[in-house]
Amino acid sequence: MAPLAWRLGLGNQSGLAQATFPKGKAEHCIFIWLGGGMSQIDTFDPKDLGDNRSSSKKAGSFYPSIETAVPGVRVCEHLKHTAKWMEQVTAVRSVTHKVIDEHAFATNLVHTGRMISGNVVYPSIGSIIAHERGAADPSVPAYILVGYPNVSRGPGFLGTKDGYIYLVDTKTGPNGFTRPADVTEERIQRRKKLLEPLQAEIPPKSGLADYEEAQKEALRLAGPKFMRHFNLEEESSTTRESYGGEFGQRCLTARRLVQAGVRFVEVSHNLNFLNGSGWDIHNEGIRNQHLLIQELDTALAGLIADLKRTGMLDKTLVVVGTEFGRPAEFDGKGGRGHQGTAFSMVLAGGGLRHCGAYGTTDELSKKIVEKPVTLPDFHATVLAALGIDPKKDLMDGSRPVPITQDGTPIADLMPQA
Amino acid sequence: MKSPTIRLSQITPALLLASILPLATAATLQKGAEPSTNPTPTNDAAGNDVASTLPPPQPLLPKLTEPKVSSAPPVDRATLSPGKIRLELCFKGLSEKNTWPTTHPVADEVHEAAAFGFFELPHLYVDTGVRADRPNPLFVRASAIVNIPAGRHRFLLRGRGASCLFVDGKPILTTPFPPPESDNRPVTVQNQFLDLGPTFRFAPPGNRESWCEVEIESGEHLVILETIIGGVRGKGHNRPELGETVAAFSPEGSYDWKILTPEKTEIPYTDAGWEKYREQTENELAASNAKHRAEARNQSSEYWARRRKHATEWLSSTKEEPVPALPPNTPSLNPIDHFIGAKIAAFASQLSEAKSGSIDFYTQIQPILEARCRDCHQGGKAKGGLRLDNLATLLKGAKSGEPVLVPSAPEKSGLFTRTKSTDPDEVMPPKGDRLTPKESALLETWIKEGAHWPEFPPLPTEYTALCSDLEFLRRVTLDTVGVVPTPAEIEAFQKDTNPNRRAKVVDRLLADPRSADHWMGYWQDVLAENPNILNPTLNNSGPFRWWIQESLLDQKPLDLMVTELIRMKGSERFGGPAGFGVASQNDVPMAAKGTIVSAAFLGVEMKCARCHDAPAHSYKQEQLFQLAAQLGAQPIKVPSTSSVPMDKLHSGGRKPLIEVTLKPDTLVQPTWPFSDFVKDNVADSVAEQPEDPRDRLASLITAPENERFAQVMVNRIWARLMGRGIVEPVADWERGTPTHPELLRWLGRELVRSGYQTTHITKLILNSHAYQRASIKARREVNPLYTTPIPRRLTAEQIVDSLFTATEKPFRTEEASLDIDGIRDLSTSISLGQPRKAWMLTSTSNERDRPSLSLPRIQAVTDVLSAFGWRGSRQDPSSIRDHAPNSLQPAVLSNGIMGTWLTTLTDDHGITALALKKQPLNQLLDSLFLKLLTRLPSDVERKTYTEVLAPGYEDRFSSPKPAATPVEPRRPAYYVSWSNHLDPDATIVRQKQEAEARKGDPVTPWLETSWRLRLEDVVWTLLNAPEFVFTP
Repeated sequence: MAPLAWRLGLGNQSGLAQATFPKGKAEHCIFIWLGGGMSQIDTFDPKDLGDNRSSSKKAGSFYPSIETAVPGVRVCEHLKHTAKWMEQVTAVRSVTHKVIDEHAFATNLVHTGRMISGNVVYPSIGSIIAHERGAADPSVPAYILVGYPNVSRGPGFLGTKDGYIYLVDTKTGPNGFTRPADVTEERIQRRKKLLEPLQAEIPPKSGLADYEEAQKEALRLAGPKFMRHFNLEEESSTTRESYGGEFGQRCLTARRLVQAGVRFVEVSHNLNFLNGSGWDIHNEGIRNQHLLIQELDTALAGLIADLKRTGMLDKTLVVVGTEFGRPAEFDGKGGRGHQGTAFSMVLAGGGLRHCGAYGTTDELSKKIVEKPVTLPDFHATVLAALGIDPKKDLMDGSRPVPITQDGTPIADLMPQA
Repeated sequence: MKSPTIRLSQITPALLLASILPLATAATLQKGAEPSTNPTPTNDAAGNDVASTLPPPQPLLPKLTEPKVSSAPPVDRATLSPGKIRLELCFKGLSEKNTWPTTHPVADEVHEAAAFGFFELPHLYVDTGVRADRPNPLFVRASAIVNIPAGRHRFLLRGRGASCLFVDGKPILTTPFPPPESDNRPVTVQNQFLDLGPTFRFAPPGNRESWCEVEIESGEHLVILETIIGGVRGKGHNRPELGETVAAFSPEGSYDWKILTPEKTEIPYTDAGWEKYREQTENELAASNAKHRAEARNQSSEYWARRRKHATEWLSSTKEEPVPALPPNTPSLNPIDHFIGAKIAAFASQLSEAKSGSIDFYTQIQPILEARCRDCHQGGKAKGGLRLDNLATLLKGAKSGEPVLVPSAPEKSGLFTRTKSTDPDEVMPPKGDRLTPKESALLETWIKEGAHWPEFPPLPTEYTALCSDLEFLRRVTLDTVGVVPTPAEIEAFQKDTNPNRRAKVVDRLLADPRSADHWMGYWQDVLAENPNILNPTLNNSGPFRWWIQESLLDQKPLDLMVTELIRMKGSERFGGPAGFGVASQNDVPMAAKGTIVSAAFLGVEMKCARCHDAPAHSYKQEQLFQLAAQLGAQPIKVPSTSSVPMDKLHSGGRKPLIEVTLKPDTLVQPTWPFSDFVKDNVADSVAEQPEDPRDRLASLITAPENERFAQVMVNRIWARLMGRGIVEPVADWERGTPTHPELLRWLGRELVRSGYQTTHITKLILNSHAYQRASIKARREVNPLYTTPIPRRLTAEQIVDSLFTATEKPFRTEEASLDIDGIRDLSTSISLGQPRKAWMLTSTSNERDRPSLSLPRIQAVTDVLSAFGWRGSRQDPSSIRDHAPNSLQPAVLSNGIMGTWLTTLTDDHGITALALKKQPLNQLLDSLFLKLLTRLPSDVERKTYTEVLAPGYEDRFSSPKPAATPVEPRRPAYYVSWSNHLDPDATIVRQKQEAEARKGDPVTPWLETSWRLRLEDVVWTLLNAPEFVFTP
């Protein structure tokens, strides 16, 4: 009996022994989610400058690009902090899928690596990793989400035990693990006393006892020991400031959680009031896109630097995911539509052999010229980086389901044996 | 503005608005909240003596910008009943453009209504009583004779669709057609909503409004309200919703508004007045809808009478299942107990027989069979047709007729001789190591001693006595209506001295409409009801929850319910079974539906067959596609995306586990794939329209000849009430064997005999001794002999609904919609209404991660539901919920947002009222325990709880300080919807709502703080007691 979701210890590592896949050594994953569809041509896959004015419309990047620490690899000018860290980063520029019509659908695809089947609800990458590796420390959950709950982020057929606990705001902590303000220590003790006679009648090894066990764990977790992981005041002001605003503070929370033993943290960058529509830069949404990019840049570079400083960069894989990219052409009001056939997702740290950029697109970032990476391949890369066999099967009840839909890790990025 | 008798001239809108709405000037208000052609009177924005500047009161013709008939609708006063509104719905003659018709549309349907306050129309029911869509746009005309006193009154018209109000043939007010779709309309336009007095009800989201002042003579006036709902939106349509279509008036000299009504009773048009009116009208609508359904159903009563007759004939032409004699000393309340008792007695004797030999089957023989034989001899594809999973199949022998097991004669038993054979074609196992001499010897001895194979490993065979009355009441109430019993129900039951009081409770509960709620979540899971309130994407279906609910409310016979589902008629987007037929982004929706139908009604699991033949199931992909073609009523071509390429199958070198025998691009014809259950030709006489593939399919599934259907259905009911199916898993019978085949057959025939009434089966089970026995709390698993129940974990919905029921805290969430003002196309957004029960909730669908699209109160409740195994999104069907405990469950109850609402004593909390009652503490404790746990406190509990609550008990009352005078101007609460969610203000509004949800309602001022906090701790404890989430 594992009353605690994350009391699964090391998870199911049976596949590790005879692994023949290129094996990574990452222990944790921080998955930054840019909901809406990050425009690759305006960020990590810059091309010649375009023009979005209706009078002189020309397809191309919206911003000039700059050099990075990796010779020959350029990024947009609003990623100047991240540019310095590109030796620890790989912008995978050749991610491809065929779903562009709807955000939720593509979000599901990128999180699960699968198309909808109607027969199986596939688990998200976070749940798969939680399932396979468990938490690194039994006193914390394996999978925490900083963002809104949805089915794409859920455990699917793996079941609630591999689900996330979530928070939408770094200041309030996760629902269920944050005591209401008026519940003082005195009241906690009183509740404990009141609960005692109700628990006394519960026979051991019964369904009720299993629940009671889970309850004790839950109440313990709602205590100060777990909650302090969310207290950013414990960090120096220099560290806090290096991450930037609320999104950066979420990334800092993620680092603290990883440090505490959480295996997978998904952090959503959903502060859509910066430019109205967030990363979904249709129409006027593009006008202030640079503010979003700058915010991402500060937080991402801050996170990488901080992981490096704390000696955690090599064992923490940072992923920047998004549901699709955007075309080089501008729409009626100067914004951009959706493009799934070629877009960028970013990997950093995690002990991978980074090269700044992987895969090439054509002069307008529309077609993939070399090294296409499918969603299953991308998933396989993340799994392999965390030492999980990307060819193994998961079990949906009695039915084996391959952990990825035939994905192959990007061999060039894998550490040499 | 102090006196209600103030003259209207002194409370001109401009005055009111200038004092109440500093943000909006009267001038901007006159433009209306949204693009409109409000015929508002010209006011003096400075608020001077307006009366003198008002235009002449009669007539106030609206400025009509759209083509509009100039004549009043020709309503014949003779058709109007006194005191009633004649409500006409007109389909024909309407333009596909958003314009008023040029001639007066004629009524296609006529209904009655009580007042000019409309929020929902009576549903249209077609076929056997399933909800259907009316044409869109729909023209609605409401006419009545209304008594209006003389005076210069203010009139108000609001509505979602374009509308027009006529008094005595003169149009006095109009509202415009809905605005175009938008996602970034400024939130602050809501500042311009009309505010026409201190008790005036602000317009709810998504209504246009206008007002005017009219001098009227005393007496009867003909009032007509016309509105066009739905309408065109780009290439699609608006949802055909009324919003809050209201005609109201404020009599001269008064601030207050009333809904116009031909009735004598006044209906105040205030927030409270509307709420009351709406609730009453909803109940009336529900009753009239039920009546209309019944009328529709009656249209096909002849056919269904024929089906009943057919079932009766079938019953009499087939062998009855005899009810076994009751073994001695077996408690029994009805025939179920005979079957259960006989099984227990038989098993007890098997056990004692088995003890006579030297071999123990379960520890010595079964491991050999499992290790050496089971791989090939299991499931529907067992080699030689021989399954080695129970004694009966072994005794029956192989398909070839070869005897496999002859008790006491190992030399005649293939099971033994084959293991010794030297013939390589004969020997078993055919590959791998031979049995060791020790294993052979064990087998030989076991057979020689008589091959004792008790049906189960040793199990307790002792019964418990009946549970206590209160335990029974809590258990049976949870199992029927899905919530804990109320204090009134407890009291009535305890007072009843009738020896049949338990049976009476069962009858009462099964007739209670709440019993529909209890089965909702179950069918939503099993049938994968998966609507999305925003953009249907992830294998979404329509919201056919409303059809499920109406079926359960009507206690529809199961065969009819299944037939309706498979016919998939009625409304797709608004709650008819057609919604079941939708599977968005699915390459073969009908194949997905096929897996649902086969598992739900026939216990045939075909998920694997969606793309390939499965190793563990005998049904092939072709059979699923035959079923899919029947459901689609046309041949289906297998797409390559529904297959597994052969090269992939064979990659890796090893023999693939799965096979693909149905090639992509094959055209599969509609064919009944389960001729082993019932022959296809049965449909010729049973189906209503045998030439229709869907009707054929429905009849073949539900015909009495198909005994599998009735048995699968009774097994589902049984499993839900008894904690374990007679066959497990309930949705995949190929993997299980019935523990009580005779009982299963008997119950199946009872279902047929009752006319497929599930309540008949439920009643039999609830009235059995087996159900009513005391539970043994120390056990985790249900004894398959059903000697004793165990505490069963409640479902997520039972937990949430019980928490609200027990505490009487109102279940208050947002409307389940992200388009509450109805400006999106009906194909992209729907509303699931105002949830009253857990099952009405749904995924909050915030895939975009936009704070402005969050629904914080719904989220707080769905967090609890999800932790306990509910799914907000049901991409696939599920018959078994995940019930394993995890720490998120107690966590979200004890410290989560919803938990905090329930354990904070507010004015509207039921425990607050209880605590304010003058009674001794002892009585309060009794009431608390009864109300929350349906039992009295134990002595220890009483002592502990008294210690906590006694101090300050007598002084627990507190007088609230006089409420501070509100300094904020009166203003409608801002709302966020799709239409404005990209406005940065929307995020701020939503985050404020999130913070408010987290904080909960203000605590009651009537209880002294320190004592209240202690009582809150007591409430917290009782709600968080593990026993709360289990049946007793």
